[in-house]
Amino acid sequence: MAEFTLPKNSVPMKGKEYPVPFGATRVKRIEVYRWNPDSDENPRIDVYHLDLDRCGPMVLDAILKIKNEIDSTLTFRRSCREGVCGSCAMNVNGKNTLVCTKAISDYKGTLKIFPLPHLSVVKDLVADMTHFYAQYASIKPWIETQTPAPADRERLQSHEDRKKLDGLYECVLCACCSTSCPSYWWNSDKYLGPAVLLQAYRWLADSRDENKGERLDELEDAFKLYRCHTIMNCTDTCPKGLNPAKAIAEIKKLLLVRKEG
Amino acid sequence: MDYKTPLAKVRSLGSAHNGTGHWWMQRISSMMLIPLSFWFVIYAKKLTILTHAEISAWLAEPLNSFFAIAWLMTVFYHASLGLQVIIEDYVHCEWRKIAAVWAVKVGFFALGLATVLAVLRTVH
Amino acid sequence: MIVSLKLNKPPQIYQSCSKTLRVKIMSASNRPLSPHLQIYKLPLTGLISIAHRITGAALATGLLFFAYSFFAIAAGAETYLDLQNLLNHSLGQIGLWLFIYALFFHLCHGIRHLIWDAGLSFDKKQMNKNAVIELTASLTLTLCAFFL
Repeated sequence: MAEFTLPKNSVPMKGKEYPVPFGATRVKRIEVYRWNPDSDENPRIDVYHLDLDRCGPMVLDAILKIKNEIDSTLTFRRSCREGVCGSCAMNVNGKNTLVCTKAISDYKGTLKIFPLPHLSVVKDLVADMTHFYAQYASIKPWIETQTPAPADRERLQSHEDRKKLDGLYECVLCACCSTSCPSYWWNSDKYLGPAVLLQAYRWLADSRDENKGERLDELEDAFKLYRCHTIMNCTDTCPKGLNPAKAIAEIKKLLLVRKEG
Repeated sequence: MDYKTPLAKVRSLGSAHNGTGHWWMQRISSMMLIPLSFWFVIYAKKLTILTHAEISAWLAEPLNSFFAIAWLMTVFYHASLGLQVIIEDYVHCEWRKIAAVWAVKVGFFALGLATVLAVLRTVH
Repeated sequence: MIVSLKLNKPPQIYQSCSKTLRVKIMSASNRPLSPHLQIYKLPLTGLISIAHRITGAALATGLLFFAYSFFAIAAGAETYLDLQNLLNHSLGQIGLWLFIYALFFHLCHGIRHLIWDAGLSFDKKQMNKNAVIELTASLTLTLCAFFL
């Protein structure tokens, strides 16, 4: 059976609470999920207080400030700090997002920061993405052709055909959408999830690709594709404003046309 | 230790090349059920007020016999398709899953058939 | 040594062993699962999606009762009267109208599914609005069925 509750070793317990900084007037309370692989303890929720007058505007700034000034053992992924690398995906106040593009002022009250949902935790806010990346590799995210490229130029694409990739190519594979999807929570061993399916559609929609049929063959599966029940959490949460649910609907339409058309 | 590579785990047994038929039939049956459900609501209300003779006569009217049988066939089909998805989502032990899905399919088919026969007996 | 790696506690050798072995120990260790349902704030459409599933399962169960109603009619006046009394009991009435409301809700969200399947109405800004529309529609249909 699918497990709707957390296993015993995963239930977070109360953690340390750090004091309110001296003389601060605009204080933000921040709760952060912590887990140390070198200890036998369950994960814990540590509580920090930051002086917003002495902190950058983004949620990532707050996390960096905690690491730099309060607890240097806090572990998380981050790189570009402008929403193009997809590293700093986390769950903030119940919704997945890239913390570098989210302002602290977007949230009222306490900030609650967790790793992406329903993944195995490597340390603190770092979740294990191995399976997610392997799923991405399985859809062959590269152009497949038999016809050799023209000798004197690149493979051309009309403006209209190029437009079909808008809303797809921008995906940075942060996994916010996939880990927001209950269907992916219960069946990630087989279901490819919204991010990987959006990427699969990105190659199906590419006019230069010559392997549409085989790509569809690979996707046509009750579990790989049809575990999508249009719950719409993916589209709701995507920090890049993309629409994985719509991309999946387009794949289903292609399969239907191939079968019934 | 498990030395299988992540890609081997993801590819596993490969694609079953199915699912489109199930998905499509669920949609087709749902579209058929839109008008049929309204007939059902009328039937459900009749159940609370009509006497046995009246409801037997009502069901024997050609249009109502047609709707009754069409509703029963479609609704049992649609429900078994839907329950199949729920079972597949939550039951992870492969053999239990296969057994549960087929138990529902066979059970609902038999029940659907039996109710259609009951209608025929009423309206003969 | 391999046996000890499967224990939840990192064995004593952990600190002194080679780097590759240490990596193995870590991957076999007692990693927690990150919280999911416990923390996720489902949007209205997500909640409705769960309700669609719950009403679907409930309707499939209630269907058994209405299947029985056809047997009762075929069986004769006495069996039918028992069924009718059950249905006209106050609890029966509550059950009946909950069933009809569940049916209309399932129908309304089902129509939204059909629209989605046509590749339409995926606009994020419209999502919650459409959810309110279908909730209102299902309530209206139930009230119409009740009073007509």
